[in-house]
Amino acid sequence: MEIGMLPISASKRGKLLAAGYTTLHSILRTSTTHLARDIEVSESEALEILNFATRSSDLDKSSGSNANVIHGGQTAWDMLNEERFSSLITTSCLDLDNILGGGINCKEVTEIGGVPGIGKTQIGIQLAVNVQIPLDYGGLGGKAIYIDTEGSFMVERVLQIAEACIEDLSEYSHHFYKDNQAFGVKMHPNSILENIFYFRVCSYTEQIALVNYLDKFVTEHKDVKIIIIDSVTFHFRQDFDDMALRTRLLGEMSLKLMKLAKNFSLAVVMLNQVTTKHIEGSFQLTLALGDSWSHSCTNRIILYWNDDERHAYIDKSPSLKSASAPYSVTSRGIRNSTSSSKRIKMV
Amino acid sequence: MAPLNSLSKEYPLIDSNFQTFCASHAIYSVEDFLLHDLDALFASAANHSNSERLKQGIHQLLLIVDALHPPVLNGLQLIEDAKRNKHVFSTGCEGIDALLGGGLRVGQLTELVGPSSSGKTQVCLMSSSTVAKNKCSVIYLDTGNSFSPQRIAYFVGQSSDYVSVNQADHRLLQNILDRIICYPVFDVYQMFDLLHQLKINLRSQVFIDIVKSDHQVQVLIVDSISSLITPILRGNGPQGHALMISSGFLLKQLAHEHNIAVLVTNHVVGGDDGNPKPALGESWKSVPHVRLLLSRDCRSNVSNISIIKHPAMASGRSATSTRLFV
Repeated sequence: MEIGMLPISASKRGKLLAAGYTTLHSILRTSTTHLARDIEVSESEALEILNFATRSSDLDKSSGSNANVIHGGQTAWDMLNEERFSSLITTSCLDLDNILGGGINCKEVTEIGGVPGIGKTQIGIQLAVNVQIPLDYGGLGGKAIYIDTEGSFMVERVLQIAEACIEDLSEYSHHFYKDNQAFGVKMHPNSILENIFYFRVCSYTEQIALVNYLDKFVTEHKDVKIIIIDSVTFHFRQDFDDMALRTRLLGEMSLKLMKLAKNFSLAVVMLNQVTTKHIEGSFQLTLALGDSWSHSCTNRIILYWNDDERHAYIDKSPSLKSASAPYSVTSRGIRNSTSSSKRIKMV
Repeated sequence: MAPLNSLSKEYPLIDSNFQTFCASHAIYSVEDFLLHDLDALFASAANHSNSERLKQGIHQLLLIVDALHPPVLNGLQLIEDAKRNKHVFSTGCEGIDALLGGGLRVGQLTELVGPSSSGKTQVCLMSSSTVAKNKCSVIYLDTGNSFSPQRIAYFVGQSSDYVSVNQADHRLLQNILDRIICYPVFDVYQMFDLLHQLKINLRSQVFIDIVKSDHQVQVLIVDSISSLITPILRGNGPQGHALMISSGFLLKQLAHEHNIAVLVTNHVVGGDDGNPKPALGESWKSVPHVRLLLSRDCRSNVSNISIIKHPAMASGRSATSTRLFV
């Protein structure tokens, strides 16, 4: 069924089969006019089909002495060496950074979920600010895209966190460059706000359209290093009659986000809500959107309360150990928890 | 099936006379030809003026059809092929190897099913490291940016006795990691393109007679195939379903013809009675040769693996492993 593997519409496919074109070879043998006449489409559409078929069969001609090399792949050794220079975005909480291996990874999709009020939006805003930390201070010097579906983005809070971040950076530079007064941080809170691209979406169609548009946007703004979606589930939870459609749309959206993360080397952070699930006789909290969605991220962090203290737990990761760490939400943003009995628990 | 007039360029016997003769019997394509009563066709050709040429044309068509089917093998040839070519690759995890009867078998499509974070990617990474250590090549299709070379390096270091990181070990690690090639794949057509290209490369290699097993891919891993297929399933029309079945067919064909062991991962969805069941539906159930179910005890490092389907082992057999999460 080689025709089935061409990216053309189902009706054209049906017409090709009905006219007797079942293999790519048979399409390539005819000319545009013959094809157009046989399957009753316009000449330009026939030309398009021929181009697809030629492109697929051009793979036939790529047999040289290095025939075992297929384009698009990388050996594990190359990837390991690249990872040494890979960029991490700090969360401003040392314990959290430690269990994450340094911070949120670029080239990966991280899902962060928790009950309302635990600090998801706060973490999102903190990351949007931290990605802009200049290269001299160990940051990425990049810009952020913030996609807001719930309307929980408060600009005053971003300003507060940005000011605290700049203060921390000057204190850090003051420590290291005590003699040199001229090493002041040349950042202004307004410039931090300028580098956050904010999108507000009000329905699931807008959300999907935006994710499709992001490819073009990031090509034009190559210094975007993080995309935060807050929250990814909001528009898909209510009023969705067709569950099969929801699964398909979510699957496609997650693949597009994965592709964005990989191709542009940026971090994608999705904030999610929780729901209860009946597992083994008891009700447990899991992230919303069902089982199929739980595979749409590379890493997953679950935020939960533990005796008045906020904790983060690594639920899924290909290379990090399962561990949990406490953190707190202060007026300056996300910081280490200050309780005296805090320690990182390895689970 | 191809219309008869498309064959006229390559096979001069099927000329316009022959086509007119066939048209008189309402035969316009190869399909019509196959459905027609051939004895009646021969008899009718005998009554024609140039009967010899027409009979040759009919024979030619039959020859073309005969050349297209794969060779017929008898049981003895199959057993010899199995002994010579169909090796078993250890996954590096004893529990899983025991369930699989030694490991991943060449020529078979093995599927790992499990809920999120149950260890499927870990098994894939561990198998890659073990296979690469045994000097065979791995092709890894990654749909979720979960391929972690650090984790593979960890597995390699863990199962060997090397503790120091000197120059020789460095080079050894490089040799091992160079045998694993990772392709990020984000849609199902991209996967088809890649598998097609692999098939063509492997077919051309058969004639070059490559002895170095380093360059011949022996294991193909797709993690995860369900995230590629879920967006196209149950949409408008059966197109998604057809693509799913043809991808399974293509993987099994690659496995059998080119002596590759294929490993794919799948996730679970909620079943009707609340128990989780593997995704991708009823038709996919019969596609893989071996299906294993993975699960992880709540927040512990023990993983449970059990057989859902195996051609030679009892289903329901299970094993545990503690290696996947440390």
